[in-house]
Amino acid sequence: MNLAPYYYLTKMRILTNLAYRFDVLVSIGTNLVLMVTAVFLWEAAFSSVPEKNGMGVRDMVAYSIVSTLLGTVFVCGVQDTIYHKVREGQIATDFYKPVPLLAVYFADDLGAVAGDFMIKAIPLLISGAIFFGLPLPESPLGFLLFLPSCVFSYLILWFLSAIVGLLAFWVMELGNMGLVKDAIVRVLSGSFVPVWFFPETLQWISKFLPFQYTYQTPLGIYIGVIGTAQALREMGIQLIWAAALFLVLALFWRKTKKKTLIQGG
Amino acid sequence: MAIIEVEHVVKDYITVVKKPGIHAALKSLLFPEKKTVRAVDDISFTIEPGEIIGYIGPNGAGKSTMIKMLSGILHPTSGEIRVCGISPQQNRKAVVQNLGVVFGQRTQLYWDLQLRESFELLRRIYRVDAKTFRENMEMLQDILGLEDFIGRPVRQLSLGQRMRGDLAAAMLHSPSILFLDEPTIGLDAEAKHAIRNFIREINKARKVTVILTTHDLDDIEKLCSRVIVVNRGKIVEDGPIGAIVNKLTPMRLLEIELKEPASVRPHPAAEIVRHDGLHVSYRFDKNRISASDLIADLSKQLPIRDLSVKDPTIEDALREIYKEKELVSRGA
Amino acid sequence: MLSVLRHYGSVAACYLRLTFQQQLEYPLFLVSWMLMIPIQYFAGIYLLKVIIDHFRHLNGWTYPDLVFIFGLGLLSHGLMVVFFINSWMIGRMVIDGTFDRLLLRPMNVFFQLIASYFNFIGLIDLIPGIIIFLYACSLVGFEWTLPNILKLVLILAGAVLIRAALFVMIGSIAFWTKKNAAVHNFALVILERTTMYPLNLYPYLIQALFTFVIPIGFISFYPASAFLDRDRFVLPFDLAILTPVIGLVFYGLSQLIFNWGLRKYESAGT
Repeated sequence: MNLAPYYYLTKMRILTNLAYRFDVLVSIGTNLVLMVTAVFLWEAAFSSVPEKNGMGVRDMVAYSIVSTLLGTVFVCGVQDTIYHKVREGQIATDFYKPVPLLAVYFADDLGAVAGDFMIKAIPLLISGAIFFGLPLPESPLGFLLFLPSCVFSYLILWFLSAIVGLLAFWVMELGNMGLVKDAIVRVLSGSFVPVWFFPETLQWISKFLPFQYTYQTPLGIYIGVIGTAQALREMGIQLIWAAALFLVLALFWRKTKKKTLIQGG
Repeated sequence: MAIIEVEHVVKDYITVVKKPGIHAALKSLLFPEKKTVRAVDDISFTIEPGEIIGYIGPNGAGKSTMIKMLSGILHPTSGEIRVCGISPQQNRKAVVQNLGVVFGQRTQLYWDLQLRESFELLRRIYRVDAKTFRENMEMLQDILGLEDFIGRPVRQLSLGQRMRGDLAAAMLHSPSILFLDEPTIGLDAEAKHAIRNFIREINKARKVTVILTTHDLDDIEKLCSRVIVVNRGKIVEDGPIGAIVNKLTPMRLLEIELKEPASVRPHPAAEIVRHDGLHVSYRFDKNRISASDLIADLSKQLPIRDLSVKDPTIEDALREIYKEKELVSRGA
Repeated sequence: MLSVLRHYGSVAACYLRLTFQQQLEYPLFLVSWMLMIPIQYFAGIYLLKVIIDHFRHLNGWTYPDLVFIFGLGLLSHGLMVVFFINSWMIGRMVIDGTFDRLLLRPMNVFFQLIASYFNFIGLIDLIPGIIIFLYACSLVGFEWTLPNILKLVLILAGAVLIRAALFVMIGSIAFWTKKNAAVHNFALVILERTTMYPLNLYPYLIQALFTFVIPIGFISFYPASAFLDRDRFVLPFDLAILTPVIGLVFYGLSQLIFNWGLRKYESAGT
C-alpha cells in the first residue's frame, strides 16, 4: 500500500498550521484560559473538602491540565471539513481523487495532531507546569498504559467525528450537527468533571456510551484513580468501541457514497 | 466649474517587508522592516460635469487608490481633492450623498432578499423622498429592464442582472457623479451592451458625470470621450481617445492578398511585418506616407487581389504604454 | 436634530425588517444551534450541581449563588449577542472590503455596523439565560420589588455596554493590523469563565486585573455579590450601581478607539 501521499498530506498539514502563527497563538491562549480556570475551580472545590473518592486537589489539577492537553491534541477536523465542503458543494472534487477520501482526511488530521502537539500542547504543558507544577503521572506503569489508551481514545473520537461529519451529506440543512455532538462529548467524556462524580444512574448509563472512554479513561489511568486491572479492562472496552464505530463508519460511508454518486454531489 | 478637481495628489503606502523562513518571521514580528510604496505620484486633473472618463492603466497603476480617494474612503498623503467643491476627506457624508459607486466584483445588494428590498434600504439611507424615488425607479426600471427580476432574490440573478441591480442601487438617490469599477467584467455581450447603453442614457438624460475604470477596451471606445491613462502612479496620457491613439500609434497596417506568388520587395516608407504565401502585411507611418500613395506604389509591383487598411485601436495604443511598463520593470 | 433622529430611526427600522427576513431564510440551519446552545448551558448548570453535591461550596458560593451568577452572566451575554454581534465582523469586513461600503454611505459608520444586524438568532442564547436566571432567582429568593428590578435593568444595561465595548475594541485592532484574527473567540472564553463563574475563584491578581483594568468583574460578579449580600471587596458603596456608569465610560472609550482606528484605516487603506 502506497503511504507516500498520506505522508505528504500530513506534512502539508503541519506546515500549514505553522503558517497561521497568530491563529495558533489565539488557540493556545484560549486553551490556557480553559485550563487555568478549571484548575482554580477545583482548587476552590477541594479547599472545603480536601479529599474525595481517594483523590486530592493535586489529582484533579493534574486531571485538568492533561485534559486540556488532550483537548488540543485530539484533532478531528474531518467533522467540520466534510460539513463545510458539502455546504459549499466542493465535496465532489474530493471524490475523484485517486486516494480513499476518509484516509485522506485521517492523514490530514494526523498531521494536525502532530503539529498541534508540538505547537500547542507543549507550550500549554510548560505553562501549566509553571503555574501549577508539573502534573506527574501516578506511576510509570500508569503512564505506559496511558499512552495507548490515548491512541484508542483518539480512534473513538475520530470515527465518531467522521460519522457525524458524514451526516452533513444527509441533513446539511439542519446546520452543523457536529456542534451538538461536541457539546455532548464535552460533558459526558468527563473532560471537565469526571463521570465518577455524576449521580449513580447517570454513571450507569454512561457505561454503555462511548464518551467516558475518550477522556476519563486515559486521564483516570494517568492520575492513578483507575488501577491497572481496571485500566486493562477499560482499554478493552475502548478497543471494542473503536471497532464498532469503525464498522458503523464503513457502512455509513458506503451508503453515503452510493447516495452521492447517484445524486451527483 | 469643474465637478472634480485633483491637485498634486500623492498617496504613499507603508508596507511591511516579509521574508521567508522562521527566523525572518520572528525578526519581523519584533522589528518589522517597513517599505514605502508610492501608489499615486503627484497626479492632477480636473473633470467637468457631464464627462464620461475612462480611468485606465495596467494593474497596480493606482486606479482603485484614486477612486477610493475621490470617494473619501482613503485620505491622500498630500495634495487636494474637491468633489463638487467639497473635500471628501473633510466632509465625507456630504460628498457621498451625491456619489454613486459600483464595484464590479462586489455587490452592495442583500444577497438573500428580493432586489427591491435593497432599494428600500438605500432609499432611507440616502433620504430619497417618495416622489423622487418613484420617478427614479421608473426611469431606472425603464432603461435597465428591472421589472423582470426586481422581485427575485439577488442570489438567483445572473451576473448581468445583478450588475443592473447594482447600477440602479447606485443611481437611486440621483447622484451627479458615478464611479464604476470594472462594471462589465464577466458579462456576456448582451449584458455589456445593456450596461453601456445605461451609462450613455443617464449621462445624456441626467448629465451624470461618469468615471469608469475598466480593462475592457470596447467599454472605453464606446463610452469614453476622454481617457486618463495612469501607469506606476503617474498620469501618462490625458485627453480625447482619438488624440491619444493618434499620438501613440501613427502606424497603420496595410494587409494585401496577392493573386499569385510574387517576389516582395521592401518599400522605403513601409515595413514588411508578415509574409506567408499570398498574404503580405506592410506597416507604415501615416505621417510619412498616405495609405493611397503606398497602395499606388505597391500595386505597380505586386499583383494585388484584395487589400485592407487597418487603423490602430485603443488596444494598440495601450500596448505601447504597457510595453513601456514592462521594459522598465524588466530592467529594475 | 429631530430630523437626524428620524433619519437614523427609519434606517434602523428598515435594517430590522430586512435582517429579520434574512435570518428567516434558512430556519432549519438553526436546528443544530438550537440543540447545542441549551445543551451547553444547562449542562453547565448541571455540572455545577454535580460539583457542589460533592464539595458543598466554592469559596463560599453555594449552588444557588453559582446558578445566580451563571444566569446573570448569561443574560448580559445573550443581550450583547442580540444587539452587538456585528462588532465581531469588523475584521472580516476590513479584509474583504465590505467595510468600504459603509464609508460610501452618508451615515455614521458605527451605527451602520451595529444597526445593520439585529441578531434574532441570539435569542437562542438569551432564552436559556432567562430561564436559568429565573430558576436562580427562585433558588436564592430574589425579591421582585421595584427597586430591585430597576437595579437589575441598570446592571444589565451596563453589563451589555461593557461587553460590547470589549468586542468593539478587539475588533478595532483590525484597523491597524488588517488581519482577521478572530480574537473574539478568545475574549468569549475569558468572558464566560469570569462572568458565569465567581471571579473570586481566581487569584487576587486576576481579580484586580478584571476590576481595575478591564472591568469584567462589573458585568456579573460584583452585581451578583451585591444582590447576594456577599461583598468580598470592602468598598464603601454599592458596587452594583457602578456597573452602568462603568458601562457608559468603557463604551465611550471603545467609541474613541473605533473612531481612531477608522481614521487610521482611511489613511492607510488595505
